[in-house]
Amino acid sequence: MFVYEKKLQYPVKIKNTNPKLAALIISQYGGPDGELGASLRYLSQRYSMPFPELKGLLTDIGTEELGHLEMIGTIVHQLTRELTEKQLKDGNFAPYFIDHTVGVYPTAASGSPWNAAGMAVKGDPIADLAENMAAEQKARVTYDNILRLSDDPDVNDVIKFLREREIVHFQRFGEAMQILREKLNQKNVYFMNPAMDL
Amino acid sequence: MNQTNKVTDNSSEQMQMDAGKVKQEAGNTEEKTQTQNKNNALGALPAKAPLANAYVPYQQPDSDQYEPKFGFIRGTLFPGLDLPFMGLVNTTEKNQPINELQALNFAISELGLYLDTHYNDVEALDLFNTYQKLYQEGVNTYQKLYGPLSLQAVGTDGAYDWLKDPWPWDYNQTVEVSE
Repeated sequence: MFVYEKKLQYPVKIKNTNPKLAALIISQYGGPDGELGASLRYLSQRYSMPFPELKGLLTDIGTEELGHLEMIGTIVHQLTRELTEKQLKDGNFAPYFIDHTVGVYPTAASGSPWNAAGMAVKGDPIADLAENMAAEQKARVTYDNILRLSDDPDVNDVIKFLREREIVHFQRFGEAMQILREKLNQKNVYFMNPAMDL
Repeated sequence: MNQTNKVTDNSSEQMQMDAGKVKQEAGNTEEKTQTQNKNNALGALPAKAPLANAYVPYQQPDSDQYEPKFGFIRGTLFPGLDLPFMGLVNTTEKNQPINELQALNFAISELGLYLDTHYNDVEALDLFNTYQKLYQEGVNTYQKLYGPLSLQAVGTDGAYDWLKDPWPWDYNQTVEVSE
């Protein structure tokens, strides 16, 4: 089960509203490489993982990603509070505003609503861990891109934290791959699917 | 990781003073320091790595660590994994009461992930246990002053104080306390 803790993993306190920036950052809430997909990917993959190290790592990273989802939601919320009429009419934010007002909705910056097609649960531990390593890299690049486009120091403080987490998670998934491999047939790690055939 | 990384119960001031510095082992030899520096950047790979496998070097068990408050703003406890984009790094530590808790909570999560793949590292486990203890003490103190952090902690003083503002996403979230 999950228990809510009434605090963020990392503080978010954004002085200046900026709906244009919110319309970009929403991608890490509901975009193809965002935190919603990340948490669902890992928390769903763990059921077919064969070893306690892998079950634990996917549970722990998946849980951390839920905390990141909350941080991204908080950034979007704080960037869109107390908007002026001029800000509402801003060309970049207006399409989002029409559909979601100042609610936080899981969508990509490019407009597609969150879609499970952006994540994978293949049910084979090597394939799933490789998917996760790629997913962490893609999320890292999205944060790089946000840092390129944003000049708000309050936002960037949080984005730098989230970006670094992707690097740490990539490292751990890589180590998990090694742990898995050491438990498989050393001559041919692809001999069978350890989710089914162990 | 080394002896002096271990934090004792009354060391939060110490943590503050040492924040940001990678601590060196007391009485270490030059040789040991060199080994550690090397290990921060380099991990271990199998000597003969088979074909058609993806490899990430394994993080060495004696990696240096940041103190929690500094690691928190960098997004990792491990200097070897601290790889910023275009030199953009956070340098100002966060010192509100909630931030102290968040930093300890972060250190626990970070070491937890590390232990998931390095479960035989007893030094990391010691440090994990030390931070756990500090965190629990911190949570108890914080909740007495500012209210419950979880539904399970509600009602200990007889009132339903779960609904009390601020909520984590509120802009005026920080209970400002002059230091």
